Amino acid sequence: MKFYESAPTLEAEQDLFEIDIKEFVAGNIDPTKFKAIRVAHGVYEQRQEETYMLRIRCAAGGITPEQLRKVAELGAKYGSGEVHFTTRQEVQIHNLLIDGVMPAIRGLNDVSLSSKGGGGNTIRNILTSPTSGIEENEVFDVDPYAVALTTRLINEDDSWNLPRKFKIAMSNGPSDTAFTQATCLGYVAKIQDGEKGFAVYCAGGMGARPMVGNLLFDFIPASRAYHVARALKTMFDKHGNRRSKNSNRIKFLWRKLKREEFVGYFEEEYNKIKADDSLDLVLPDMPNQANTSIKLVSESGSGNDYDVWKKRYVIAQKQAGLYSIKLPLRLGDLLEKDAQVLCDFLQEIGENTIRCDRAQNMRLRNIPEAYLGNAYKVIMGLEDTLVTYAPFVGNMINCTGAQTCKLGICLPRGLTQALRERFDNSTLNLDRLDDFRLNMSGCPNTCGMHHIAHLGFFGKIGRKDGDMYPAYNILVGARVGEEASDNVTQYGEKIGEIPSHYVPDFVHDFLQNYIEEMDEYTDYYAYLDDQGKDFINSWLEANKEVPSVTVDDKVYTDFGAKKRLSLEDMGTAECSAGMFDMINVDRKFVADITAELPESADKATSLYKLLFHATRMLLVTRGLDAKNETQAMELFAKHFVIGGLVDEKFGDVVTLGKLGMKEALPAHEAIIVELGATVTELYKSMDDSLRFKVKAKEEAGSLEKDFRGVACPMNFVKTKLTLDTMESGQQLQIKLDDGEAIQNVPGSVKLEGHSILKQEQDADGHWTLVIKKK
Amino acid sequence: MNLTEEQIERYSRHILLQDIGGPGQEKILNAKVLIIGAGGLGAPIALYLAAAGVGHIGIIDGDVVDLSNLQRQVIHFTPDLGKAKVESAKEKMQAINPDVKVTTYKDLIMASNARDMIKDYDFIVDGTDNFATKFLINDACVLEGKPYSHGGILRFDGQTFTHIPGEGCYRCIFDGPPPKDLIPTCSQAGVLGAIAGILGTIQAAEVLKFITGAGDLLTNRLMIFDAKKMKFREAKFKKRDNCPVCGVNPTVTELEDIEQAACDLKDA
Repeated sequence: MKFYESAPTLEAEQDLFEIDIKEFVAGNIDPTKFKAIRVAHGVYEQRQEETYMLRIRCAAGGITPEQLRKVAELGAKYGSGEVHFTTRQEVQIHNLLIDGVMPAIRGLNDVSLSSKGGGGNTIRNILTSPTSGIEENEVFDVDPYAVALTTRLINEDDSWNLPRKFKIAMSNGPSDTAFTQATCLGYVAKIQDGEKGFAVYCAGGMGARPMVGNLLFDFIPASRAYHVARALKTMFDKHGNRRSKNSNRIKFLWRKLKREEFVGYFEEEYNKIKADDSLDLVLPDMPNQANTSIKLVSESGSGNDYDVWKKRYVIAQKQAGLYSIKLPLRLGDLLEKDAQVLCDFLQEIGENTIRCDRAQNMRLRNIPEAYLGNAYKVIMGLEDTLVTYAPFVGNMINCTGAQTCKLGICLPRGLTQALRERFDNSTLNLDRLDDFRLNMSGCPNTCGMHHIAHLGFFGKIGRKDGDMYPAYNILVGARVGEEASDNVTQYGEKIGEIPSHYVPDFVHDFLQNYIEEMDEYTDYYAYLDDQGKDFINSWLEANKEVPSVTVDDKVYTDFGAKKRLSLEDMGTAECSAGMFDMINVDRKFVADITAELPESADKATSLYKLLFHATRMLLVTRGLDAKNETQAMELFAKHFVIGGLVDEKFGDVVTLGKLGMKEALPAHEAIIVELGATVTELYKSMDDSLRFKVKAKEEAGSLEKDFRGVACPMNFVKTKLTLDTMESGQQLQIKLDDGEAIQNVPGSVKLEGHSILKQEQDADGHWTLVIKKK
Repeated sequence: MNLTEEQIERYSRHILLQDIGGPGQEKILNAKVLIIGAGGLGAPIALYLAAAGVGHIGIIDGDVVDLSNLQRQVIHFTPDLGKAKVESAKEKMQAINPDVKVTTYKDLIMASNARDMIKDYDFIVDGTDNFATKFLINDACVLEGKPYSHGGILRFDGQTFTHIPGEGCYRCIFDGPPPKDLIPTCSQAGVLGAIAGILGTIQAAEVLKFITGAGDLLTNRLMIFDAKKMKFREAKFKKRDNCPVCGVNPTVTELEDIEQAACDLKDA
């Protein structure tokens, strides 16, 4: 049994990839270019440089015991030895060195698994409801569709170079357990007039700018599942934005085009193929059944612990006599030796016995009743699971966070452990929270699915007296599937923010309140509206003080972190959302001090503080972090005054501040207040990637040109031609590619006698150059 | 005039030059140049000027392509044998750059037609190889107030200078043609094919420099090279008050055909 068939060209592509790896190791390929090559093969660099993670496709979350065993063995041989189950229903092996990447990938070929499309701008793993095919009240099993669609799409050449990643999910019914409105293309199983089919949603997605998917078809016959995917892929390929990494998902295309135009382009493609029956998927036979002859000796389970386990984790399937078992993993990890034991058991039962779910846990299926005792024994023998906890604990979702991810701010894995310890020391009846979704992400990206959580957290930077501490935004009340009255998914709303170290107590107290009150309400949402939100607000108000670092520095080091939070550890481009938080701290000070200035008893000190916060506010956008007031003003003078982002007239007060001449400041009150307003305006003019949209000292007749994607020397040729049309002293702003372009053009411009006023790289790697014509 | 995307790309290596740039290229595209002779010198001159995008090129030659031409007249190919040289040249020029307008004159330049022929052009290039015609071209250009590039090759040697109205001319160096038969023509003396390329491309460079104003021209300097030793040298000269054509009291005030050996009529 296989969950997909890789393309016949895969091994040849792997040969090419192997050459690329050798070239990279020899220093002949630029790391940025190599990144683009490797992520499409599912190879990610971890936060610790030169260690890699391999992400392996598991269509419909399915993997056979034989395949899982192989993955575990490869992980042990080339990586750190555990199989990691992700929130995207795949498996990963971690901590590979570059030499181990290729042998691991080739090892996967032996069991028909592939890492291709694990990352990059490709068709990603296709997800389904983890109980599809076995759930009592499902509409129908969508797994065969996901498997057939995967095979079809990964055999198409144009699936590997899309404008951005393309995610597909399929739910087996209206409860929408595959979260189809939070993905690029979602199918929900539906029967209409006795015919099998799907409601189709598209252009949803979470991430830092979440959008809920839109209904594209109320109903399509099941036979058209591929046609829709094909058309959307072609349409996305043609019209998607390939230029900006930050806004090129399908959801942004929808936002840009609006429904009518988006659907128009889609239908253009769909109408070409919709009548072509030869494109119908060939559905694989994936029976949910156990082997007919099982050689194990049936063991009967008994005792209180067994009963509790059975109640918590064992669910009867719609197939009579067969059971599904939830296996909660600690942080999604399954040790290699545990995988061996588990697979020994499952291989006896059958091939179709494992699904990955989105809570980083395993779901075993098709276990005959007679062997539940055997399963219990095997599972209890595993070294590292959460099977003795209430399911709520294992259902908590966290992204891998800053431990391995380059983007992370916080470490949700550490927080999850801390939460578990907090629950260990409490009397909460967590069994009452079976379906409660508590999801955590380490940054505004949504690997931890915080947008669809009942209680969600995503990492941010907090600041106290200039010192940074790990913190989280709190989201509440997301509704998915039938939780929403009209089946339209609603993402959670942000209700507050909290230092990372306060989260365990907060979660405990909130859940305690909810569990105590839940019987009074029809559902969680009614509780939230009536008193849950008030509870949260008053809890946060009561705990709003953060001790300064000299009093208690524990708060400044995240759970599971080895040292205090610092900017240096974060990826440069991706921590921009965290930067906004840092900026907001200063922005608030600037506003508050300015407002209180008329009544200030000590004008000199107030103005000095205002000057400090105003000068520090935007330093972070230049990758600068001032340790103290003097340094903030120094850096501001250099990068903002001399750099021309603010008027030169502010130079004098900044110098006074830099020299610590507080007493001299009241004479310049107006200009200091104006500086505060100016940097605040500058901040407002920035877009999400922290670029300045307006140029502070723009002269009349300035021009902007975009030469991204124009190769050397044509970019310089065009720059020259543009300058030819301009008057002496006018400014030209151009955008350039990274690499050869930025290495050559500025020098050539200077050789011709023009001046470069500004040269900076933006979040997506492109450069902006401001030239003053000679 | 705005350059098209295709032109920007085609002429990018000119535009990149600080002394030419977009405005310089536009001057080239607007220029009108007459090449006299579609032979050894005319071949590289015509090809490089067409490639450079000189907007309008006139080319004059009365001959047809002969097998003995192909050793150095690289604009003509073996299948062109028997074809008018100006037609053969035009085909190659337009193949190298369809932007260029080419006007052909299958004719000899004579006292009777010279001034008429040159008067509509910005710059004249001498690609002939006989003294009589060289003096005729000089006189015509001086009288019409046209700049021109002089060029001549023989055996392993070449010489060239650029005349600008008001500066030294050919007769400032040499009063008039040498006596008939004193100097062998190239059909008697031979010529190394590649030196036609050396000299012709120097002339083409002078044309482009003149059009764009880049650098210093070969005015009042006769450049002479000896390819056997591969040495280049310069002989400075000045505009002479007693020059027969550009002096204070000129004796040459109208054009006159000068008798010459029959084979001199053939191009270099």
